[in-house]
Amino acid sequence: MEIFAEMDFSAIWKYREALLWGLLTTLWMAFSAFFMAVPGGLLLAFGRLKGGWIVNIPIMAFVDLMRFTPLLVQAVWIHFALPIFTGASMTATQSGLLALTLHVSAYICDIIRSGITAVPRGQWEAAKALGLKPYVSFFRVILPQVWPLVLPALANVAVSTFKLTAILGILAVDDLMKVANRINNMVFRPIEVYTSVALIYLACGLILTVLAAWFERRYGSDRLDRIAVERPAPAVIVHNELSGG
Amino acid sequence: MEFNFNIVLSNLPTLMDGLKITLLSFTIALAIGFPLGLILCGMRLRKTGFAARLAQGYVAVFRAIPEMVMIFWMFYCLPPLIGFKLSGLTSGSLALGLVSGAYLCEIFRGAVQSVAKGQWEVSDALALPRRAVWLRVITPQAAKLAIPPFINHMTELLKGTTLLATIGVAELALRSYVLGAQTFRYFEFLTAIALIYFVVIFPVARFAEHIERKLAKATS
Repeated sequence: MEIFAEMDFSAIWKYREALLWGLLTTLWMAFSAFFMAVPGGLLLAFGRLKGGWIVNIPIMAFVDLMRFTPLLVQAVWIHFALPIFTGASMTATQSGLLALTLHVSAYICDIIRSGITAVPRGQWEAAKALGLKPYVSFFRVILPQVWPLVLPALANVAVSTFKLTAILGILAVDDLMKVANRINNMVFRPIEVYTSVALIYLACGLILTVLAAWFERRYGSDRLDRIAVERPAPAVIVHNELSGG
Repeated sequence: MEFNFNIVLSNLPTLMDGLKITLLSFTIALAIGFPLGLILCGMRLRKTGFAARLAQGYVAVFRAIPEMVMIFWMFYCLPPLIGFKLSGLTSGSLALGLVSGAYLCEIFRGAVQSVAKGQWEVSDALALPRRAVWLRVITPQAAKLAIPPFINHMTELLKGTTLLATIGVAELALRSYVLGAQTFRYFEFLTAIALIYFVVIFPVARFAEHIERKLAKATS
């Protein structure tokens, strides 16, 4: 195979700094889009569950529009069509980040909504019976029980947010994919360029997947069961506390 | 600001040609991904051995690399490696198909593993042969469970075909972008295709949710 003999990765090594910056841009965008989308999705889910139909219908329309149209179309729409609407032109990074955040927040809204509905109704009733204010019962009683339930799904979304950033390269956001295209246009070595970039993405994707799995094991709902199994209900201690107190 | 959606209507034939290419690449990807997913699932369901580990590795790799990167790799790197040219449509659809094989493997595996354990035990108690257990007992139940996630994945795959625009395949997204650039009517064209995608995907996704609810009711 002469094609393997002709391969020359030194051309790529010359551009290692550019690739590193591209990777940092990718990671930075994925990270900030995800962590803006979590509160965004939480707010949307809360609106869906507690708002009347005036709040409900726009949120439903937004979530469905975001979930059922491709991110590529959304990104291009936000970059080219939205400024006609608003009059304010945005940089590629701004539109890309906005598109990614909105897209991901729609998914997170659905996940958190199903998480909240999965918490038994009795929890709301118990909180009410204790005289807790609605927002206190939501933030202190319900939400802490929602996180472990939705964690596996959220971890998945975090990994796909990272993968989706590769799409934003079409808006001239200098992420890893775009940097690779630029390098390829200069050195004309597609095999070396795209293979190295694929390997970088693979490494990051695998690391993220492992991190997500670890996070799930550590904080997921299984943990509650595990603690319950490892430490059987301390009946005697409770009794002592009651009599001693 | 005035909007003129007539310009979209007058270019509708071009857009519909784009939709055809979109659906064609979707079909190719599905034709590759579906059997691949089944085979990988069969390999992964074995607990040990080389085949199981191979399938596991495949799934891990193809789920970790973004589709976009896969498409670029298949478009630029595969032709020189195999020695003959591939069109953008072929290599892009191939990339989507290989990625979707990994996802479908996980969907099928999840469905098979969600079939109640008792079904295996009952089949053993009835002394059914292995083949009959798979074909008559497990697969029909697993197929039903797999329908909602399968349809969901189909909508993801359809959305994924837009990525072929980046390697110059004249599918729906690229055509409308080019038309928008030619006429300076970005708003009309981009909104129109967003709506086309929505109109295609929304009913399908709702249908999946409907089946999911029905299944949840039937099993509870």
